[in-house]
Amino acid sequence: MTKYLILSALLFSIGAYGVLSRRNLLLILMSVELMLNGVNIALVAFARHQQNLDGHVFVMMVMGVAAAEVGVGLALLIALFRSRRIVDAGELTTLKESP
Amino acid sequence: MDSLREVVRDAAGDPVFLAGALVAAGAAVVMVTRRNPVYAALWLMLCFLAVAVMFLKLHAPFLAAIHVLVYTGAILVLFLFVIMLLNLTTKELGEEHSPPAKALAGVVCGLLFLFLAASFLKGASDGAPFRELETVKVSVGTSKLTIAPEDWGGVSHVGSELFGTFVVPFEIVSVLIVVAILGAVVLAKRKL
Repeated sequence: MTKYLILSALLFSIGAYGVLSRRNLLLILMSVELMLNGVNIALVAFARHQQNLDGHVFVMMVMGVAAAEVGVGLALLIALFRSRRIVDAGELTTLKESP
Repeated sequence: MDSLREVVRDAAGDPVFLAGALVAAGAAVVMVTRRNPVYAALWLMLCFLAVAVMFLKLHAPFLAAIHVLVYTGAILVLFLFVIMLLNLTTKELGEEHSPPAKALAGVVCGLLFLFLAASFLKGASDGAPFRELETVKVSVGTSKLTIAPEDWGGVSHVGSELFGTFVVPFEIVSVLIVVAILGAVVLAKRKL
Protein backbone atom coordinates (compact mmCIF):
# COMPACT_ATOMS: atom_id res chain seq x y z
CA MET A 1 0.00 0.00 0.00
CA THR A 2 2.54 2.59 1.13
CA LYS A 3 4.87 1.83 -1.79
CA TYR A 4 2.14 2.80 -4.23
CA LEU A 5 1.43 6.00 -2.30
CA ILE A 6 5.14 6.91 -2.37
CA LEU A 7 5.28 6.28 -6.13
CA SER A 8 2.24 8.51 -6.52
CA ALA A 9 3.89 11.25 -4.43
CA LEU A 10 7.03 10.92 -6.57
CA LEU A 11 5.16 11.29 -9.86
CA PHE A 12 3.17 14.22 -8.45
CA SER A 13 6.37 16.00 -7.34
CA ILE A 14 8.11 15.42 -10.68
CA GLY A 15 5.04 16.84 -12.43
CA ALA A 16 5.07 19.85 -10.09
CA TYR A 17 8.74 20.37 -10.93
CA GLY A 18 7.84 20.35 -14.63
CA VAL A 19 5.10 22.93 -14.10
CA LEU A 20 7.40 25.21 -12.08
CA SER A 21 10.63 24.88 -14.05
CA ARG A 22 9.48 24.92 -17.68
CA ARG A 23 8.29 27.86 -19.76
CA ASN A 24 7.12 25.90 -22.79
CA LEU A 25 3.32 25.68 -22.50
CA LEU A 26 3.24 22.24 -24.14
CA LEU A 27 5.59 20.86 -21.49
CA ILE A 28 3.58 22.54 -18.72
CA LEU A 29 0.37 20.83 -19.94
CA MET A 30 2.18 17.47 -20.12
CA SER A 31 3.46 17.94 -16.58
CA VAL A 32 -0.09 18.62 -15.38
CA GLU A 33 -1.09 15.28 -16.94
CA LEU A 34 1.74 13.63 -15.03
CA MET A 35 0.49 15.13 -11.75
CA LEU A 36 -3.03 13.84 -12.44
CA ASN A 37 -1.58 10.37 -13.07
CA GLY A 38 0.21 10.43 -9.74
CA VAL A 39 -3.08 11.19 -8.01
CA ASN A 40 -4.82 8.42 -9.98
CA ILE A 41 -2.35 5.82 -8.66
CA ALA A 42 -3.11 6.89 -5.08
CA LEU A 43 -6.86 6.70 -5.72
CA VAL A 44 -6.64 3.18 -7.15
CA ALA A 45 -4.36 2.05 -4.31
CA PHE A 46 -6.85 3.33 -1.73
CA ALA A 47 -9.70 1.62 -3.62
CA ARG A 48 -7.80 -1.69 -3.48
CA HIS A 49 -6.97 -1.19 0.18
CA GLN A 50 -10.55 -0.38 1.21
CA GLN A 51 -12.04 -2.90 -1.29
CA ASN A 52 -14.31 -0.10 -2.43
CA LEU A 53 -14.81 0.72 -6.08
CA ASP A 54 -15.53 4.45 -5.56
CA GLY A 55 -11.86 5.18 -6.27
CA HIS A 56 -12.08 3.59 -9.71
CA VAL A 57 -15.08 5.72 -10.61
CA PHE A 58 -13.24 8.78 -9.35
CA VAL A 59 -10.25 7.95 -11.59
CA MET A 60 -12.60 7.79 -14.55
CA MET A 61 -13.95 11.24 -13.67
CA VAL A 62 -10.37 12.51 -13.48
CA MET A 63 -9.67 11.05 -16.93
CA GLY A 64 -12.74 12.81 -18.32
CA VAL A 65 -11.72 16.14 -16.81
CA ALA A 66 -8.13 15.64 -18.04
CA ALA A 67 -9.33 15.00 -21.57
CA ALA A 68 -11.49 18.14 -21.47
CA GLU A 69 -8.63 20.16 -19.97
CA VAL A 70 -6.15 19.05 -22.65
CA GLY A 71 -8.64 19.76 -25.41
CA VAL A 72 -9.30 23.32 -24.26
CA GLY A 73 -5.67 23.93 -23.26
CA LEU A 74 -4.29 22.90 -26.62
CA ALA A 75 -6.95 24.93 -28.44
CA LEU A 76 -5.87 27.98 -26.40
CA LEU A 77 -2.25 27.19 -27.25
CA ILE A 78 -3.07 27.06 -30.97
CA ALA A 79 -4.98 30.35 -30.75
CA LEU A 80 -2.06 31.94 -28.89
CA PHE A 81 0.49 30.65 -31.39
CA ARG A 82 -1.58 31.95 -34.32
CA SER A 83 -1.76 35.48 -32.97
CA ARG A 84 1.63 35.84 -31.25
CA ARG A 85 3.91 33.07 -32.63
CA ILE A 86 5.00 32.05 -29.12
CA VAL A 87 4.53 29.01 -26.86
CA ASP A 88 6.55 30.54 -24.04
CA ALA A 89 4.70 31.26 -20.79
CA GLY A 90 7.32 33.88 -19.87
CA GLU A 91 6.56 35.90 -22.99
CA LEU A 92 2.85 35.72 -22.36
CA THR A 93 2.12 39.12 -20.84
CA THR A 94 -1.15 40.07 -22.47
CA LEU A 95 -4.34 38.28 -23.41
CA LYS A 96 -5.54 41.02 -25.78
CA GLU A 97 -5.65 40.25 -29.45
CA SER A 98 -2.59 41.68 -31.20
CA PRO A 99 -3.32 44.31 -33.86
CA MET B 1 12.34 4.67 10.17
CA ASP B 2 10.89 1.23 10.76
CA SER B 3 8.03 1.86 8.38
CA LEU B 4 10.51 3.10 5.73
CA ARG B 5 12.51 -0.13 6.04
CA GLU B 6 9.27 -2.08 5.80
CA VAL B 7 8.26 -0.27 2.60
CA VAL B 8 11.69 -0.79 1.02
CA ARG B 9 11.56 -4.51 1.82
CA ASP B 10 8.00 -4.71 0.50
CA ALA B 11 8.99 -3.00 -2.78
CA ALA B 12 12.17 -5.05 -3.19
CA GLY B 13 10.18 -8.27 -2.91
CA ASP B 14 7.93 -7.24 -5.79
CA PRO B 15 9.94 -7.14 -9.05
CA VAL B 16 6.99 -6.10 -11.23
CA PHE B 17 6.24 -3.12 -8.99
CA LEU B 18 9.93 -2.22 -8.80
CA ALA B 19 10.42 -2.31 -12.57
CA GLY B 20 7.20 -0.39 -13.23
CA ALA B 21 7.97 2.25 -10.62
CA LEU B 22 11.54 2.76 -11.87
CA VAL B 23 10.36 3.09 -15.49
CA ALA B 24 7.55 5.49 -14.50
CA ALA B 25 9.76 7.73 -12.34
CA GLY B 26 12.72 7.63 -14.75
CA ALA B 27 10.59 8.41 -17.80
CA ALA B 28 8.89 11.24 -15.88
CA VAL B 29 12.23 12.81 -14.94
CA VAL B 30 13.49 12.56 -18.53
CA MET B 31 10.18 13.97 -19.78
CA VAL B 32 10.25 17.17 -17.71
CA THR B 33 13.84 17.92 -18.74
CA ARG B 34 13.52 17.46 -22.53
CA ARG B 35 13.65 20.61 -24.64
CA ASN B 36 12.13 18.98 -27.72
CA PRO B 37 8.37 18.53 -27.08
CA VAL B 38 8.18 15.44 -29.34
CA TYR B 39 10.71 13.59 -27.20
CA ALA B 40 8.90 14.74 -24.05
CA ALA B 41 5.60 13.37 -25.39
CA LEU B 42 7.17 10.00 -26.22
CA TRP B 43 8.78 9.73 -22.77
CA LEU B 44 5.44 10.63 -21.23
CA MET B 45 3.92 7.77 -23.21
CA LEU B 46 6.41 5.34 -21.65
CA CYS B 47 5.55 6.73 -18.21
CA PHE B 48 1.82 6.25 -18.84
CA LEU B 49 2.35 2.63 -19.91
CA ALA B 50 4.22 1.98 -16.64
CA VAL B 51 1.32 3.58 -14.74
CA ALA B 52 -1.06 1.16 -16.53
CA VAL B 53 1.11 -1.70 -15.21
CA MET B 54 0.62 -0.28 -11.69
CA PHE B 55 -3.15 -0.32 -12.25
CA LEU B 56 -2.96 -4.00 -13.25
CA LYS B 57 -0.95 -4.72 -10.08
CA LEU B 58 -3.68 -2.96 -8.07
CA HIS B 59 -6.37 -5.24 -9.51
CA ALA B 60 -7.89 -2.62 -11.79
CA PRO B 61 -7.79 -4.30 -15.23
CA PHE B 62 -10.57 -2.18 -16.73
CA LEU B 63 -8.94 1.06 -15.58
CA ALA B 64 -5.60 -0.10 -16.99
CA ALA B 65 -7.24 -0.69 -20.37
CA ILE B 66 -9.01 2.66 -20.54
CA HIS B 67 -5.89 4.39 -19.20
CA VAL B 68 -3.94 3.11 -22.21
CA LEU B 69 -6.81 3.99 -24.56
CA VAL B 70 -7.51 7.49 -23.21
CA TYR B 71 -4.05 8.69 -22.18
CA THR B 72 -1.63 7.07 -24.60
CA GLY B 73 -4.24 6.61 -27.30
CA ALA B 74 -6.08 9.92 -27.26
CA ILE B 75 -4.41 12.59 -25.12
CA LEU B 76 -0.80 11.99 -26.22
CA VAL B 77 -1.80 11.66 -29.87
CA LEU B 78 -3.57 15.01 -29.47
CA PHE B 79 -0.33 16.45 -28.07
CA LEU B 80 1.71 15.06 -30.96
CA PHE B 81 -0.89 16.33 -33.41
CA VAL B 82 -0.69 19.86 -31.96
CA ILE B 83 3.13 19.76 -31.99
CA MET B 84 2.96 18.81 -35.66
CA LEU B 85 0.37 21.52 -36.35
CA LEU B 86 2.46 24.26 -34.67
CA ASN B 87 5.62 23.14 -36.48
CA LEU B 88 7.86 25.03 -34.06
CA THR B 89 11.32 26.19 -34.99
CA THR B 90 14.10 26.15 -32.38
CA LYS B 91 13.68 29.91 -31.90
CA GLU B 92 9.91 29.63 -31.46
CA LEU B 93 10.36 27.06 -28.67
CA GLY B 94 11.20 30.07 -26.53
CA GLU B 95 13.62 30.42 -23.67
CA GLU B 96 13.77 28.44 -20.46
CA HIS B 97 14.22 29.58 -16.88
CA SER B 98 17.77 30.20 -15.67
CA PRO B 99 19.57 27.31 -13.89
CA PRO B 100 19.21 28.94 -10.42
CA ALA B 101 15.45 29.25 -10.93
CA LYS B 102 15.29 25.58 -11.98
CA ALA B 103 17.33 24.56 -8.94
CA LEU B 104 14.93 26.49 -6.71
CA ALA B 105 11.97 24.70 -8.32
CA GLY B 106 13.79 21.39 -7.79
CA VAL B 107 14.33 22.15 -4.10
CA VAL B 108 10.68 23.15 -3.64
CA CYS B 109 9.43 19.96 -5.33
CA GLY B 110 11.95 17.81 -3.44
CA LEU B 111 10.58 19.22 -0.19
CA LEU B 112 7.05 18.58 -1.42
CA PHE B 113 7.94 14.95 -2.10
CA LEU B 114 9.65 14.53 1.27
CA PHE B 115 6.63 16.02 3.04
CA LEU B 116 4.19 13.74 1.19
CA ALA B 117 6.32 10.62 1.65
CA ALA B 118 6.87 11.35 5.35
CA SER B 119 3.16 11.80 5.97
CA PHE B 120 2.40 8.54 4.12
CA LEU B 121 5.03 6.69 6.15
CA LYS B 122 3.72 8.20 9.36
CA GLY B 123 0.18 7.13 8.50
CA ALA B 124 1.23 3.63 7.47
CA SER B 125 0.26 1.30 10.27
CA ASP B 126 2.00 -1.64 8.62
CA GLY B 127 3.65 -2.78 5.40
CA ALA B 128 1.19 -5.64 5.33
CA PRO B 129 -0.06 -6.79 1.92
CA PHE B 130 -3.57 -6.00 0.81
CA ARG B 131 -6.36 -8.09 2.29
CA GLU B 132 -7.69 -10.90 0.13
CA LEU B 133 -10.54 -9.75 -2.09
CA GLU B 134 -13.98 -10.92 -1.12
CA THR B 135 -17.03 -11.72 -3.18
CA VAL B 136 -19.24 -8.64 -3.42
CA LYS B 137 -22.88 -8.21 -4.34
CA VAL B 138 -23.93 -5.18 -6.34
CA SER B 139 -27.35 -4.16 -7.59
CA VAL B 140 -28.12 -2.01 -10.61
CA GLY B 141 -31.76 -1.04 -10.78
CA THR B 142 -33.63 -4.28 -10.35
CA SER B 143 -30.86 -6.70 -11.35
CA LYS B 144 -28.40 -8.07 -8.84
CA LEU B 145 -24.85 -9.15 -9.65
CA THR B 146 -22.37 -11.24 -7.70
CA ILE B 147 -18.76 -10.25 -8.36
CA ALA B 148 -16.22 -13.02 -7.74
CA PRO B 149 -12.81 -11.97 -6.37
CA GLU B 150 -11.09 -12.60 -9.72
CA ASP B 151 -13.59 -10.27 -11.45
CA TRP B 152 -12.99 -7.45 -8.97
CA GLY B 153 -12.36 -4.19 -10.85
CA GLY B 154 -13.42 -5.77 -14.12
CA VAL B 155 -15.88 -4.40 -16.66
CA SER B 156 -19.04 -5.75 -15.00
CA HIS B 157 -18.02 -4.50 -11.56
CA VAL B 158 -16.96 -1.01 -12.64
CA GLY B 159 -19.89 -0.76 -15.04
CA SER B 160 -22.44 -1.62 -12.37
CA GLU B 161 -20.97 1.03 -10.05
CA LEU B 162 -20.74 3.63 -12.81
CA PHE B 163 -24.30 3.15 -14.05
CA GLY B 164 -25.76 2.45 -10.62
CA THR B 165 -24.51 4.68 -7.83
CA PHE B 166 -22.61 7.17 -9.98
CA VAL B 167 -24.92 7.61 -12.94
CA VAL B 168 -25.54 11.34 -12.33
CA PRO B 169 -21.81 12.31 -12.11
CA PHE B 170 -21.23 10.17 -15.21
CA GLU B 171 -23.83 12.14 -17.15
CA ILE B 172 -22.39 15.44 -15.89
CA VAL B 173 -18.94 14.44 -17.19
CA SER B 174 -20.47 13.84 -20.61
CA VAL B 175 -21.90 17.39 -20.53
CA LEU B 176 -18.46 18.70 -19.49
CA ILE B 177 -16.81 16.97 -22.44
CA VAL B 178 -19.39 18.35 -24.89
CA VAL B 179 -18.74 21.87 -23.54
CA ALA B 180 -14.97 21.28 -23.86
CA ILE B 181 -15.35 20.14 -27.49
CA LEU B 182 -17.40 23.24 -28.32
CA GLY B 183 -14.88 25.45 -26.51
CA ALA B 184 -11.97 23.87 -28.36
CA VAL B 185 -13.68 24.34 -31.73
CA VAL B 186 -14.52 27.98 -31.01
CA LEU B 187 -11.05 28.80 -29.65
CA ALA B 188 -9.12 27.15 -32.47
CA LYS B 189 -11.19 28.71 -35.26
CA ARG B 190 -9.30 31.15 -37.40
CA LYS B 191 -11.93 33.88 -37.37
CA LEU B 192 -14.58 34.08 -34.68
